[in-house]
Amino acid sequence: MSRSSIRRLVGRFEKELAPFSTALAAEFRSSAEVACDLLEPEEVALWAEDGLELARRSWRSWEAASEYFRATPQVLPLIGFVTMRQWVQRGHDLVEQSSSLAAAYFRASPDTLPHLSLSQIDDWVILGQHLYKGTWRSASLAVQFFDMSPALLSQLSLDEVRALVRFVDVLAERSYDLAAHCLSATPTSLAPLPPQDREAFIRFAEILAYTGWADARSYLEKGPGLLSQIQASQRPRFLNLTREVARQEGRQAFTFFTEGARALGQLEGDDHPYLLSLAEDLASRSPVAAMEFLKSLPQVLVRISVDDLHHLHAFGLALLEASIEGGKAFFRLQSSKSDEVLESLSSRVELSRVAEILRMYCKALTGSNVAIHSADALAEKNIGWVASERPSTEGTAIYLPPAVDEYQDKAQSFGVYKVYSTHQAGHLEFGSFDFLFERPGHIFPDERHQLEEKRGGPKKALTDIERFFDLFDDRRLASDLFAVVEDARVDRLVAQEYCGIRSIYRRIQDRELEKRPQPEDLPLRQAFLENLILASLEGFQRMRWPVTMLGLMRNALGLLRGVQQPQATVEDSAEATVRLYSLAQKVPNIVSDLEREWQRLEEEGAELPQDMDSLSQALTQLMQSGQEQSYESPQPVEFRGEFKPELVQLLMRLRQEKETRQTQASPPALSPEQLQQLMDKSVEITLNEMAEGDLAESSALFLANLLKETTPQRPEKRLPYHDGQPPLGMPREGEEGELTCEPNYSYYDEWDFRASDYKPRWCRVAEYSLSEGEAQFFEQTLTKHSSLVSQTRRQFELLRPEMFRKIKRLLDGEEFDLDSVVDFLVERHSGHQPPGKVYWRRNKVERDVAVAFLLDMSASTDEEIMKHERRYGQDDFDDDPRRYFSWWMSRRAQDMLTPPKRIIDLEKESTVLLIKALETIGDSYGIYGFSGYGRENVEFYVIKDLEEPFGQRIKQRIDKIAPVRSTRMGPAIRHATAKLDAHDAKVRILFLVSDGRPQDHGYGRDRTEKEYAIHDTHVALLEAKRKGIVPFCLTVDRYGHDYLKQMCDDIGYAVVADIEALPSRITTLYRRLTE
Amino acid sequence: MEVQSERTEYRQYAIEEYVLSEEPFYLPLKDEVELFTAAFHQNIPVLLKGPTGCGKTRFIEYMAYRLDRPLTIVKDVTGQSEGSANHGLPLVTVACHEDLTASDLVGRYLLEGESTRWIDGPLTRAVKAGAICYLDEIVEARKDTTVLIHPLTDHRRILPVEKLGQIVEARDGFLLVISYNPGYQSALKDLKHSTRQRFMAIEFGYPSRELEARIIQHEADVPDSLATDLAKLGEKVRHLKEHGLAEGVSTRLLIYAGRLVQKGIPPRRACQVAVVWALTDDHEVQRSIEEVVSSIFE
Ligand SMILES: Nc1ncnc2c1ncn2[C@@H]1O[C@H](COP(=O)(O)OP(=O)(O)OP(=O)(O)O)[C@@H](O)[C@H]1O
Ligand SMILES: [Mg+2]
Repeated sequence: MSRSSIRRLVGRFEKELAPFSTALAAEFRSSAEVACDLLEPEEVALWAEDGLELARRSWRSWEAASEYFRATPQVLPLIGFVTMRQWVQRGHDLVEQSSSLAAAYFRASPDTLPHLSLSQIDDWVILGQHLYKGTWRSASLAVQFFDMSPALLSQLSLDEVRALVRFVDVLAERSYDLAAHCLSATPTSLAPLPPQDREAFIRFAEILAYTGWADARSYLEKGPGLLSQIQASQRPRFLNLTREVARQEGRQAFTFFTEGARALGQLEGDDHPYLLSLAEDLASRSPVAAMEFLKSLPQVLVRISVDDLHHLHAFGLALLEASIEGGKAFFRLQSSKSDEVLESLSSRVELSRVAEILRMYCKALTGSNVAIHSADALAEKNIGWVASERPSTEGTAIYLPPAVDEYQDKAQSFGVYKVYSTHQAGHLEFGSFDFLFERPGHIFPDERHQLEEKRGGPKKALTDIERFFDLFDDRRLASDLFAVVEDARVDRLVAQEYCGIRSIYRRIQDRELEKRPQPEDLPLRQAFLENLILASLEGFQRMRWPVTMLGLMRNALGLLRGVQQPQATVEDSAEATVRLYSLAQKVPNIVSDLEREWQRLEEEGAELPQDMDSLSQALTQLMQSGQEQSYESPQPVEFRGEFKPELVQLLMRLRQEKETRQTQASPPALSPEQLQQLMDKSVEITLNEMAEGDLAESSALFLANLLKETTPQRPEKRLPYHDGQPPLGMPREGEEGELTCEPNYSYYDEWDFRASDYKPRWCRVAEYSLSEGEAQFFEQTLTKHSSLVSQTRRQFELLRPEMFRKIKRLLDGEEFDLDSVVDFLVERHSGHQPPGKVYWRRNKVERDVAVAFLLDMSASTDEEIMKHERRYGQDDFDDDPRRYFSWWMSRRAQDMLTPPKRIIDLEKESTVLLIKALETIGDSYGIYGFSGYGRENVEFYVIKDLEEPFGQRIKQRIDKIAPVRSTRMGPAIRHATAKLDAHDAKVRILFLVSDGRPQDHGYGRDRTEKEYAIHDTHVALLEAKRKGIVPFCLTVDRYGHDYLKQMCDDIGYAVVADIEALPSRITTLYRRLTE
Repeated sequence: MEVQSERTEYRQYAIEEYVLSEEPFYLPLKDEVELFTAAFHQNIPVLLKGPTGCGKTRFIEYMAYRLDRPLTIVKDVTGQSEGSANHGLPLVTVACHEDLTASDLVGRYLLEGESTRWIDGPLTRAVKAGAICYLDEIVEARKDTTVLIHPLTDHRRILPVEKLGQIVEARDGFLLVISYNPGYQSALKDLKHSTRQRFMAIEFGYPSRELEARIIQHEADVPDSLATDLAKLGEKVRHLKEHGLAEGVSTRLLIYAGRLVQKGIPPRRACQVAVVWALTDDHEVQRSIEEVVSSIFE
């Protein structure tokens, strides 16, 4: 065919195409030029025909045709004419379904086809078709797929893209928006991942789409970042593991993925293969346990080394084989077993575990009440200490590092704590902070006063130590010298007083010596101090000093020996400091290069005073040899920690003043100005947030902190409620004095029946004294129930035991029993040998009963008795206290007018009657209420403590018994048990009054599960029983029989069917129980 | 009457005739010896207060030995014992318990063959013999029993013996001494004021470290340094009273520890069994005291 006929052909098609759209025609014309160059004329005709065909298909299909023509110039050279016919054929297929789909296909082709082999083109199209479900939303997703294909296929293989499509497809079933979003996010998400990780990444996404589709988006966004924390080679392995979890556990898969990756991210990358292999071992039994294991690793590996991990793993695996739940709890570290195993494997000693022992130890040593706290706590107070792991004291407490883990075994690690606390206790025991300027020392004659005279008499000082330090121009030097000398004195006294501790002390001193700098590396004055420190640590062979000034150093060491005598006091340390200071002043702080002149010092050298001439000669020589340096304090001695006598004395003074001020109203003797002065000069104060240039503000803060520090310590102030509303019956802020609001916290284990193990220290019980209301309620109840009162009273009086019971027929006793004697004599006369049991004696039978009543103060007790059958689901509020409260408030407003009788009212009335009865027989009794929300907030209200005598206040507290929140019975029972256990009585009873089954937030797998709570309560009751306490449960829940049988297996219980009868039933039951 | 035969390897005394043959070792802590002597001569009954094992019993033994019956020549009762009785007063000790009855103190009828025989109780014997009667832990006794001693402890100095319809007048030298540990008494078990206010009271505390060291050294026959360390331990452990311990460690226990060491038990172990475990069952408190022990002893 000639050129002109080709042009005609093109012209003809152009004319046919023009009616569809001029743009289409234009597209055709421009592509035709290329087509004509590459194709035979017949082929051109076919090509054009195909386009026309496309355009004719439907009213918008010309767009697809247009894309087809536009793509041709690029596609044709790629695949050739034959394959191109196939290619367009797919386009025809698509346009059948949707023209926009076909358009997108053609549009994407030029950039997509280079990534595909010829045979793969069909597969690609099928993927797009797969997403199209005939709706416009699905069409736009498919279009998006085609549009993104170039980007996707540049990163992924077709197989991987197939997985991605499956993922998107599953998502689309839930939400097209989500599917579209995820699809569009994929290329950017994948970009940071190395190619080999992409497949596993997508495969996990696919699983996630089935199980936790809502997390898909987060996974795409955060997943790669999280994965990157895992060692590169191990990522697919980790993803496989999480996939297993997803298969089994579904919803939680993404959480496990996140937490597992984070956990691994905190650990050494080189360990990842090993750790994952351990996890895989577990996964075959329980993938969840494997993930729990990974999650716990950072916590575990703080306590034990990777080398010991297999012990823990093996133990847990064995457990897992016996019980999946037990194994999971073990690896979640929520079981006492895991706690035990960890503790036994760990050489690390944590302060929290030994604090109580150390506290008593220090108390024994010093005789005063010293608290033990973690060193971080001291820095947080911002009263002059900064964050440090080193031990210290501020006069009333000893601060120690939170954990010690330097030795092979626990005993040695504990030894470190012991040395630390002995040294700090030594400061308290041997009076480091009792320095009095006026008191003479025992060893050295007084030079303090002379020096002070010379410097113009005493200046104003807040403390004696401050007055002492005021004697020196270079306060830092003086302070450092005083610290060395006083530490040396204390260590010597410790060694003398406590022979047994010498060997560990020695060990720790030796370790310290290894860390010390060489004196010859230091500027001379610093070397002077270092030698003193070395001497005090008995590191004599490390001491070095220039031979020309040997006399001076010997002199100084002699002074140190002075304070190491047994009778030396802190005042002697001060005197030694005066003398050492003047020696140190003579020594220039220069780095000398006269190395060969340094010489060892013997332990006991003759104390030759330095010959003045030779000294000055030596000094001039030295001065020429080096540069004067600015003085730096010596490297701290770790086990001695920080010694801040100036601050401690200040704090002690502030405390004292506070005490006296409490009795007599006098203005604070300490002004901020004075404090400012002290801050300016003291070298001991290091502030945490000392803003440069903002000294005034930080010093005000410092002052405030100091003052706060001197108020009596209170436990951390945590409000017992989450939502800003105080529980009822609790005083609001600023109301009734906040003292009643300070709870005492105790911690209790909780029984996990699935794991058959305790969750250690799981619940926190806050004990409050219930606030006081009106006493009227008490009196009113008595009048209202006057007949019942006198009736129970009579019954209880009968109970009162005869103090003495006569026992007859004894071999020995108080008196003859006349009858027996007569019998005896008669038998004898008749020739028998009667046993001589002719005495009687009175035996003291004391009624010795202690009882703790535990009242359910859960929200459900608010229920009106009439409506008791139709109880609302307390569960409905379980996870949202706000909702509960708003419901409760509206309800309350409504009830204001006609207060209906509620369960709690009957509980209150019963309490009144009980008290009346118990007072008659004189049993010791405690009345407690409990409620709370969640394991961290179990509230325990004291209405009357066991030891507390009955009185007005108790009557007033009863008035405040009110419904609060949930019912976590276990910890409340445990707390009451602890109270009873501490009480000495022959018969001890725990009497639980409730209105329903135990339930609380997190008291079970979810809020509908009953099993967990019932098991825990049962175990708590058994624990009481094991302690020799008689537990008894009374419930007003008429459905109580269902669960009480299980909960009180082996334990007495009763159900009060007629709730109104509660008051009389309680007293009767109690009477029976103790008879 | 000393019943001593070939076969018996123990000595047996009639209760009121038991006098100490050797001066007991007692180290005065303060002026208690003078106080007691004065009280004795003035017939003022004495209440000894103090924690367990602080030397109350030892003190009373010592005083009994030291004191002589005023204006009476002590007659050797049996004529057998070799002059030991010319030193000191007999000492009758009664440990009170909650079942102690009046007849346990005063006396009762016993059956003997066809008839009954009256036998004096320890208190009656002491009254008749002019002995020191020491009622240990008096608060443990029942209230009705304690009332019994009232006529003995005022100017009357008589003991009515109801069953016999008699009244016994106290012989010269009779002195009633009671002891009482205020530490673990609950309000329930307190002395009645009418009882209490018939006695002068001497309070015993723990001895100072130096004195206690001397006591231990003597009693346990151990070297000075060990005695000092034990006394030091005592001092430290007593700091824990009310902070884990209900009662401080007694001198008695420290002496036990010393005596164990004397027999070759290592000091740490001796302290563990004689002090730590004897004091408390609480593991944490035990551990704390053990740490103090291991700080003091090598
Ligand atoms: N001041 C002392 N002089 C000599 N020995 C003493 C002294 N104080 C205590 N002891 C020793 O302590 C031991 C116990 O003392 P003792 O038996 O007298 O105590 P107690 O106060 O009677 O105790 P309890 O109240 O338990 O009966 C004595 O055996 C004695 O060895
Ligand atoms: Mg005694």
